Amino acid sequence: MSKKVSRRQFMSYTLMGVGGFMASGMLMPMVRFAIDPVLQKKDEGDFIPTPQKFDELTEMPVRVDFTIKDRKDAWYKSDVSNTAWVYREGDTVIALSPVCKHLGCTVNWGGDESHPDQFFCPCHAGRYMKNGDNVKGTPPLGPLDEFDVKVEGGFVYLGKTKPNTLV
Amino acid sequence: MNWTAQDMDTYLQQKEYIDTLIVPLLKVDTVTEGMKNSASSSEFLMHLTTFIETQFKGRMMLMPPFAYTQSMDLTEMAATLSRDLAVAPFKHVFFLTTDVAWTSLKVDGEVIWLPSIPLESMDPQLRKTIIEDQLRQVLPRFTKKWSGQ
Repeated sequence: MSKKVSRRQFMSYTLMGVGGFMASGMLMPMVRFAIDPVLQKKDEGDFIPTPQKFDELTEMPVRVDFTIKDRKDAWYKSDVSNTAWVYREGDTVIALSPVCKHLGCTVNWGGDESHPDQFFCPCHAGRYMKNGDNVKGTPPLGPLDEFDVKVEGGFVYLGKTKPNTLV
Repeated sequence: MNWTAQDMDTYLQQKEYIDTLIVPLLKVDTVTEGMKNSASSSEFLMHLTTFIETQFKGRMMLMPPFAYTQSMDLTEMAATLSRDLAVAPFKHVFFLTTDVAWTSLKVDGEVIWLPSIPLESMDPQLRKTIIEDQLRQVLPRFTKKWSGQ
């Protein structure tokens, strides 16, 4: 067995090497595209800090204002102020969106004197229970949306809204 | 609702619920000395009407502001505006303005005059509080009209 590489072997090795390199050059991006959804970063950074302290929350919903900084709408950057109704149930924090499910007005806790423990929409007298459930017989057709919530360093952070999970 | 195509679609489907029209009246002063004040009060009026719109989105339609310069004939404008807005299918019409001239004019609908507050020097938090206070001032006018039908 000679260790010498023949001319023919040398040629085939070189061709295989170069060919393999070129093939991988083509295949790599394809594989990369195929598994791209897996590599995508999760939107963890979407939680927005609020000035609301966790310790100060009670079972009574309070209004929490927070600002989404630098929201980009095409080339237009702006700060968007947003509101949530936040309360505590045991150790979990519940944050409800104030946007009425009827036509999008802003609801208030206890806004109606005859129903002090419900959310009230001043537009068409829509009412919601504390967990956001719409009171039957009033105009709204669904429960109030809920915010993703996390508590970090004693402060409440709010994320995206999602359909109500409490009802 | 805003005066946009998308909101207008919602309005056309939900006409019976959205029965109130908000019309901002905006004085544009072209004299150099008056320009700053005019800009400041237009900023105030636009902030306030936008805020009112978000609070009462499902009941109110916010019109684009009607602007006029200092020597335009307001009596004629009031008459024309009243005539044209009467065609629109809204039960309640509110005119919001910082120009005191409108309080003495005859228009169809209710004129709400507000003293202009210079918002430009305030930080966003204070600005929000002021705007909310202003809404609280105006709110009884709306609810009174709504319940009086």
